[in-house]
Amino acid sequence: MPRLSTVSTSNSESSPAIVAVDLVKKFGSTVALDAVSFTVPRGSVFGVIGPNGAGKTTIMRALLDLIRLTSGHATLLGTDSRNAGPELRRRIGFLPGELILEGRITGRRLLRHYANISGPVPAGRVDELADRLGLDLDRTVRTLSKGNKQKLGIVQAFMHQPDLLVLDEPTSGLDPLMQQVFLGLVDEAREAGQTVFLSSHVISEIQQAADQVAILRDGRIITVAGVEALRDTAIRHLRMSATGITATELYDRLSPLAGLGELDCRPATAGAEATAILTGAISPFVQAISPLRLTNLVVEEPDLEESVLGLYSTPEVARTEAVRS
Amino acid sequence: MSAATATPPRTGTERRSALPIFTKALTDGWRSLLGWSVGLTAALCLYLPIFPSLGGNPQMQQLIDSLPTELTRTINYQQIDTGAGYTQSTFFGLIGFLLICIAAISWGAAAIGGDEESGQLELTLAHGVTRVQVAAQRFAALVVKVLALALVVFLVVLFWNGPAGLDIDVANLAVTCLLFGGLALVCGSAALVCGALTGRKVWGIGGGAAVAVIGYVFNAIANQSADLEWLHRLSPYYAAFGNSPLANGTDAWTLVLFYLAVLVLGGLSALVLRQKDVGA
Repeated sequence: MPRLSTVSTSNSESSPAIVAVDLVKKFGSTVALDAVSFTVPRGSVFGVIGPNGAGKTTIMRALLDLIRLTSGHATLLGTDSRNAGPELRRRIGFLPGELILEGRITGRRLLRHYANISGPVPAGRVDELADRLGLDLDRTVRTLSKGNKQKLGIVQAFMHQPDLLVLDEPTSGLDPLMQQVFLGLVDEAREAGQTVFLSSHVISEIQQAADQVAILRDGRIITVAGVEALRDTAIRHLRMSATGITATELYDRLSPLAGLGELDCRPATAGAEATAILTGAISPFVQAISPLRLTNLVVEEPDLEESVLGLYSTPEVARTEAVRS
Repeated sequence: MSAATATPPRTGTERRSALPIFTKALTDGWRSLLGWSVGLTAALCLYLPIFPSLGGNPQMQQLIDSLPTELTRTINYQQIDTGAGYTQSTFFGLIGFLLICIAAISWGAAAIGGDEESGQLELTLAHGVTRVQVAAQRFAALVVKVLALALVVFLVVLFWNGPAGLDIDVANLAVTCLLFGGLALVCGSAALVCGALTGRKVWGIGGGAAVAVIGYVFNAIANQSADLEWLHRLSPYYAAFGNSPLANGTDAWTLVLFYLAVLVLGGLSALVLRQKDVGA
């Protein structure tokens, strides 16, 4: 991969949004990033998931050139990010994972300040975003709740309609309704040709928003996968109870299913109940239980930690280059 | 998927302002600037009007003479029988120096180190500015604010010059105020560099205060004996006030050197910020 430093407009329009090559970052003797490479195509949504401390935030801060790589390099929108000029930064919207905003002024004034640096911002854009997120811009930032501060952070990242959005845990502190509004903003950005690079530890959110997902663990990319592939490897906990059936009948019905493990069936007051973990596709399970008279069914969110562990132990664990599936 | 970037038409947009970081540093700091101006004015209005009954009074001079010479040398009270000597000893050399240095050091330490420590610098640097621009514009705001304080001092002393019978030459007053501001800026820029280096406000304050305090202490010790005279050379305080600029004026070199030092420290803070990991 040739190192792209200053490039012409035509080149930067056709190059991928992010090309990360062998990113290594050491803090003292700790290796925070260990040869991380990936490519994010233009106009796509690319998610990074991983447990806390896996290096998600470090990747983002290295891409933004807030911290300096020990080795390797990153090219954003066709420009090497190391000491890049204001022109590149104006084309990027960033939401830090640990968002700290100046407290003494109103949200509107704070946003105007950032617009002064990174603008131009289309007239009315800030109010439109604030309306959709239900954010009061005329309150002093200090008096805002964590969720409302996060909304302010989202507005400052999106308002100048940057070509690339780098969002670190964007939905943290948002209630489920606002998470959906946020995911709507991400969809719109993608439709407008913007590229979104976001991290999360909530797997469902990434599945809903992203085209591709990189799974990160201990500073390494374990795999880059399409969302479907990730969904198939996800592990769900399920719990159910049904009437008019004995525990043994329930066991006989469920145990042949592929991907079902740790099945435990017990008699209950008017029937039986069961707990299990489910890997892979969910529809065979749904078909198997459809004749039952269910009184309760809980399918929990796939657990990220378990999914990552699952992927970590599969044989085809390789640092894959991101290729659109 | 086609990679066409359908950037929406950028019409009817809010325009960017020139030097946004500089403007914000100034507008955010106006309350603090006003406060320090009031403080310096109050100090001047406490000391200067009583010059006729204090400094110009032979009994007061007798009292000063009866004090241990080490003490009067330390606080520079040897020549308070003239208006220039009195104003230098009471204000420029002592309370004024203290106030303007605290102002400059706290601004300098907060500008980069304090901003990084609070976590706000990270987001600013992710926007459309370079690190050097951020450091340079905040340094420029520091210079403007400290020079504004020096201007306030100039105007207030000028106001009392006649009524209090100080009889200070206006040109000498002007260069003294420039030296006064330059000395505070050396301390403030040292705080800026130390803050940028460590990413912590407290180290910035420590670095700036060290320059101010060591400058003052070296001067005071060197005043005591000819053997320790060489300590004067290490004291920015002595470089500014050693030659009694309020009475004698100063040479252009001293002024140039002070502001050159300030510029070097400002440039150094930009270089330091450019190299480092922010918020790591």
